[in-house]
Amino acid sequence: MSKILRVNMNDMDYKWEEVPKKYSTYAGRAMTTAIVHDEVEATCDPLRENNKVVVSPGLLAGTPAPSSGRISFGGKSPLTGTIKEANAGGLSGTRLGNLGIRAIVIEGMPETKKDWYSLYVSKDDVELLKTNDYAGIGLYDLIGRVWKKYDTRPGIVGCGVAGQRKNKSAGIFGNNIENTDPGRYAGRGGLGAVLGSKRLVAIISDDKGADRPKPKDKDLFDEGRKKLAEALDEHPVTGKLEDDDGNPYGGLKNYGTNVLMNILNEAGGLPSRGFSSGRFNGASKISGEAVHELVDKTKKKFGDKAEGMYGHPCHPGCIMACSNVVPYEKTGKAHVSPLEYESAWSLGTNLVIDNLEHVAELNRLCNDLGLDTIEAGNTIAMFMESGQIDYGDGEAAIKLLKEAYKEDSVVGKLISSGAKIAGETFGVTRIPVVKGQSLPAYDPRPIRGIGVTYATSTMGADHTSGYTIAAEILGIKGDVSDPREMKKAELSRNFQATTAYIDSSGYCLFIAFAILDIDKGFEGMTQTVNGFLGDEVDVTKYGLKVLEMERDFNRNAGFTKEDDRLPEFFRTEPLPPHDVTFDVPDDELDAVYKDM
Amino acid sequence: MIEVHLYGKLRRLVEDAKCNADTVMIVEHVEGETFQHLIERLGLQMSDLGDCFIDGNLAHVDDEVKDDSRVGLFPFNMVLLCGGQHLKGHGYTQSDHEVDYY
Repeated sequence: MSKILRVNMNDMDYKWEEVPKKYSTYAGRAMTTAIVHDEVEATCDPLRENNKVVVSPGLLAGTPAPSSGRISFGGKSPLTGTIKEANAGGLSGTRLGNLGIRAIVIEGMPETKKDWYSLYVSKDDVELLKTNDYAGIGLYDLIGRVWKKYDTRPGIVGCGVAGQRKNKSAGIFGNNIENTDPGRYAGRGGLGAVLGSKRLVAIISDDKGADRPKPKDKDLFDEGRKKLAEALDEHPVTGKLEDDDGNPYGGLKNYGTNVLMNILNEAGGLPSRGFSSGRFNGASKISGEAVHELVDKTKKKFGDKAEGMYGHPCHPGCIMACSNVVPYEKTGKAHVSPLEYESAWSLGTNLVIDNLEHVAELNRLCNDLGLDTIEAGNTIAMFMESGQIDYGDGEAAIKLLKEAYKEDSVVGKLISSGAKIAGETFGVTRIPVVKGQSLPAYDPRPIRGIGVTYATSTMGADHTSGYTIAAEILGIKGDVSDPREMKKAELSRNFQATTAYIDSSGYCLFIAFAILDIDKGFEGMTQTVNGFLGDEVDVTKYGLKVLEMERDFNRNAGFTKEDDRLPEFFRTEPLPPHDVTFDVPDDELDAVYKDM
Repeated sequence: MIEVHLYGKLRRLVEDAKCNADTVMIVEHVEGETFQHLIERLGLQMSDLGDCFIDGNLAHVDDEVKDDSRVGLFPFNMVLLCGGQHLKGHGYTQSDHEVDYY
């Protein structure tokens, strides 16, 4: 049975609540958004006691539906001042789903700021433990200590030193399936700092003895999950690792999300050197193909001792397996897991760093410190833009990021505080942020629809909240609608609504291939959700309701349409090679949500 | 001359190609040649291909490949991460779909 666990950090107490009827279909992003919207004062200081952190596994987390174990985190963002939802894979979605927990609400904060705590949740037990030994240490160390203490392979989420120091780039980490890396990040928006403000380092979930969640209409659910699994397996992007001749087949399994590095480069929409070029000569060296080749090379050299991988699942039951483990070339041992496209871009391409080992090291440091890689990379770019260090100098970037370990380092605090603060501190006037959050790996000048999403998203600049990329670049044409002829506003809004639904279901956003390309994939998705709930949910209406709540929160927090804008330089500086600016008029940006 | 950048399994068209470097093939320009004809000249079929680009724009079968163009060729399993492959004319997910190759 689904329930909500409410933890009060004022008096170190907790209670169980039934899921209110109005939240009965909510989970993941819909649940975090609804609770934050209904319970958090929109004008509150994000790092004081009136903010809350809501943790919610996706609706289908724990079930055998394929690739459905994502977990969402919500609260008011200290980076943007808006409502925020960030989601990730890892173990905790599945663990909490199996425990029948629809949400954990962390509220209040201890009066004395002396001790650090961890929340342990199992089938029969909830404990708030004093865990000062988990604070102030690297996260690779922390996850190792937790698994040493608990032999049940628990899920772990929490904040690293960046979050404990309430730095605005702090993400919420999660351990991976093997507990070898804390790299499963709900990275964006500084929610790690909110958790740190509550003095909570880790949430440990242990599902030993718990049963998997049961769908209300099992037949419909089973029919749906089989259809979706078949569609995912058949698709050349999400499908099997090798074809019958042993050649690489499924794009994601072989190259991960970083398959995009070379594609965006050819499309001329790959932002490089602090968003001043749409192409990067070193893209191939840090691409998904380069990682694939490195993994194969180290496997050949080190045999069973090689730890590099591709086709690595980010959560139990993920059949797309787009994650990877990047090995050290010299030893074959694991360096970082995963190296995603967005991270390889922010810590590589955007900084003109084409040394794969340097990029992997920067990512590992972010994972260890508890930093969002996209924000950290853009922040380092501000140091480069202002000449503190040079573009392309990987060693200097590593040295700079290591400052973030030192509690008394002003540079360390600056590097952990986001591109806006760092850029303004150095007098930079090309700061790529919307509502204080850094842009990700697609330049909005040649790809204007994603620019509309960046500008109008309820979360600040965020690619995942309305991923229009392929529809735009490729001009997907079909019976339903032709995105090339759609106003960018309509395109962005439709994508944002569908995304909000998927973010609530627990499904990974990458099921989009199978649900858009193969009819039975879309049927499978809706049948599993409806079968699980025993209710029929309309995809677009559900997504729009989530967006409505988010917009309402932001309005109450003081945001207006004037905040839905890109930085000036995107309108004035043409981006090579296409030499275009962002020319979507303001009234079209405002049209995205004119009636919401 | 045309600069053809090759990725994934298409790199095999160039001897000793490595994945962590650019694999570039320089081919003669043929006046009036379309993208499809260029692909055939390289010994490939359209079904081998994923999303491809001419000077940063999506390549369509009837597009003329002009002199000094940069052509980016990706194999069938390398596409932008979004659905709609059958609508893009790849033909590998729903071959019976009525495809507009525009």
